[in-house]
Parts: sequence; C-alpha cells; structure tokens
Amino acid sequence: MKFTKMKKIDTEKLISCPYCEAVNIDEGKSIYCRRCKTKITNTQESNFHTAWAMVITAMIFYIIANIYPILIFDKFGHPNGNTIIGGVIALWEEGEYPIAVIIFTASVFIPLLKFILIIYILINYKKPQKGSKKIDQAKLYHFTELIGPWSMIDVFVVAILVGVVHVHSIQIKAGIGATAFVLMVFFTMLSTLSIDVRLLKESKDAA
Amino acid sequence: MEDLDHLIICRHCQTLQKKVTLKENEVAKCSECGEILYKNASMVFHKTLALSIAALILFILINIFPIMEVIIAGQKNELTILQMVSRLFNEGFIVVGSIVVVILFIAPLMLLLFFIIIGILSHFKVGKNIVRKLLILVVALRNWVMLDVFFISILVALVKLFGYAKIIFDVSFYALIFFVALDIFTLKNIKPIELWNYYFEVYENEKN
Ligand SMILES: [Zn+2]
Ligand SMILES: [Zn+2]
Repeated sequence: MKFTKMKKIDTEKLISCPYCEAVNIDEGKSIYCRRCKTKITNTQESNFHTAWAMVITAMIFYIIANIYPILIFDKFGHPNGNTIIGGVIALWEEGEYPIAVIIFTASVFIPLLKFILIIYILINYKKPQKGSKKIDQAKLYHFTELIGPWSMIDVFVVAILVGVVHVHSIQIKAGIGATAFVLMVFFTMLSTLSIDVRLLKESKDAA
Repeated sequence: MEDLDHLIICRHCQTLQKKVTLKENEVAKCSECGEILYKNASMVFHKTLALSIAALILFILINIFPIMEVIIAGQKNELTILQMVSRLFNEGFIVVGSIVVVILFIAPLMLLLFFIIIGILSHFKVGKNIVRKLLILVVALRNWVMLDVFFISILVALVKLFGYAKIIFDVSFYALIFFVALDIFTLKNIKPIELWNYYFEVYENEKN
C-alpha cells in the first residue's frame, strides 16, 4: 500500500528542510517548510552573484589576515608583530611540533579548503554528477563544516593572551590580522548561506 | 501529505529513503552512505532539559570564577571570558571582541536557556508555536557554541606563556572541562531531526 502511494510523488522534487529535515515538495517557487514553516532556499533561488561576491571578499580578508600581524608583543617599548605563519614557524623552531601543526591546519589549511569547495560548487552547479563521486564531495563538504569552528583557535589564543598579559614591561595587543581573520570567517559563512549546498549532490539516480 | 512524514532524505548524500520505527537504543543508518540518520529519541526534550540545567550551572561557574591566574613579573592577571572581551573592546578591537562575546558567552547561554524553556513547555504540551521557533534557533545556535575550541586555545596559549609566566588553574578550568565533555558527548550528539521528531510526537500526534 505505502509503496504504491510513494510512487505517485515525483521523487526528484522532494527536498529536505535544512532546519528540521522534514521532506517537502519543491514546486519551483518559494517554499515554506510544511512542518517548521521556515522559508527554504531552493536551487532556483540560490544567489550565485552574492555567493561569488562573498567568497571573493572572504579571500581578500584571508590574504590581509596572513600579511598583517594578528598579535603584537611589546617588550619594553619595542613592538614586535606576529603573523599567523610567523607564529607557526616560531612554534616549530621551539620544538612544539603538534601545536604548530594544529595552528597551521586550523588557521591556514581549513579556510583554504573551504574556499576551494565553495568555488568548486559555484563552478559546477549546472553540471550534474553521478554516483560515488557525488557522495565523496558531499562528505568532504560536511567534513569542512564539522572542522570549520576550529579555524577560530588563533583568534581565541589572541584574545586569551591579550586578556592575561597586562604588565608594565610586556604588553600584548591584537593586530589588524585578527580583525581580518574574523571578517574572513564571517564572509565565508555568508557565502554558504546564499547558496543551496544541496547543489553539490544534485541529480540523484532516484532510489 | 502524511506520506511525506514517512520519508527522510540523508543530509550527507541526499538519498531518499523510508523511515523505520526504532526500538530503544536502535540507530537508523543511511542505506547509501552509512551515515547515522537518527536514533530512537523518545523523551529527548526531558533529556536536553536535564543536561541543559547541569550545563547552565557549569556555565555560571565558568563566568563567575577565573579560569586561571597568570603571574608575570610579580603581577597577577585573572582570565575570565568577559574580562577578556572587555580588554579587547578597550583596545578598540570591536570586531574581534564582538565575535568572541557572541561565540563564548551569548550563544551558549541562549542555547541552554532555550533548551530549558522547550523542556518545560513540551512537558505540559503547551506553547507549540514558541517551541517551534525556539527549535529553529536551537539548531542554528548549536554551530556557534565553541567552548571546546576555546578550551584547546587555552592550552595553545599556555604553551606560548610557559617561558615567562607562572600559571595557576582555577575552579573554572575544571568546570570548563566538564562543560565541554557534557556538550560534546551529549548535547552535540542529538541530531536536529530527533528533536523535530519528538516535537511532532508531542504537538502534532493527534493528526496521525
Ligand atoms: Zn522545516
Ligand atoms: Zn546517506
């Protein structure tokens, strides 16, 4: 009984609500989830121009965050800037290998990986893809979503150091790089919000 | 329309499949990619209510007592989240200060309060619309609670301070460890769909 009923629904038109995961029918225009009543952005409504603008802005902030110091050490009136890469190299030279690797992965590698994936989605959104390649991409995307928060490590480290090192002889201040880094994270988030990430796995060989 | 409630689309590979009814401790996995789709989650709001009350007590401790004391050149500084934020603001780092206060203070506090309100309202089966709106916020807010990342950041900061500072761990450091454990092993483990299935069970059951 249920089986025959299910056949009547066009499976290609079913989409899952990103907020509550209820299955909805995509009629093409604006859809409001039948369960949680939230507006679902579907493929037709994805704003690719906005997404491109946001991801390019994020990349510019990424470059600024890597050029300018995120932390300024001021020892006896001699300010000394620390960039992200400079900090990683210093940790490596001091023999703090695991922490150098963590910082490098979190601050340099994860944001780059996210840019590549978002650009990949934006370029390929019209080309349908099949089979296991599709699953790999989707898994990779969810993996970056999962590790995304860890890119905030360096910002928190700066905040902690600024918070606790406050004596006359040594002063620690945040640098422009830290602000740029936070803005980079923010714009990366906006770019994924303006597109439908389900594009990554469009056109299924219907089950 | 009711047919749609028997279907689920895997978040990871977008494969459409039929829901199955689960017994206690059972888990439904995707037939295509093997991801966990949902667990048996009856009474999930009672569980989140209890966990959130425990987490809220820890969160209050974390913000009242210093996480650690750092002594450099005879001068003592205490680390608390809000003191850290106020220093960033004083230095003019408004953007960094704002994001830190949202992620480390406002988001976790709101998440826990919302879970507590949902737990109480759903127990009495009242306030359907409020619970629905709070659930949307709760699912969005969960990605913004990063006290686990903050904890690792403390350890990284310690490495940078070891040379010239004496460090004393305070009550909140241990409270933070418990909070992170509670968050990772319980609250973050609950899938959004489990919350929504239970919402459906409590508030819309009469339609079935
Ligand atoms: Zn929904
Ligand atoms: Zn799957």
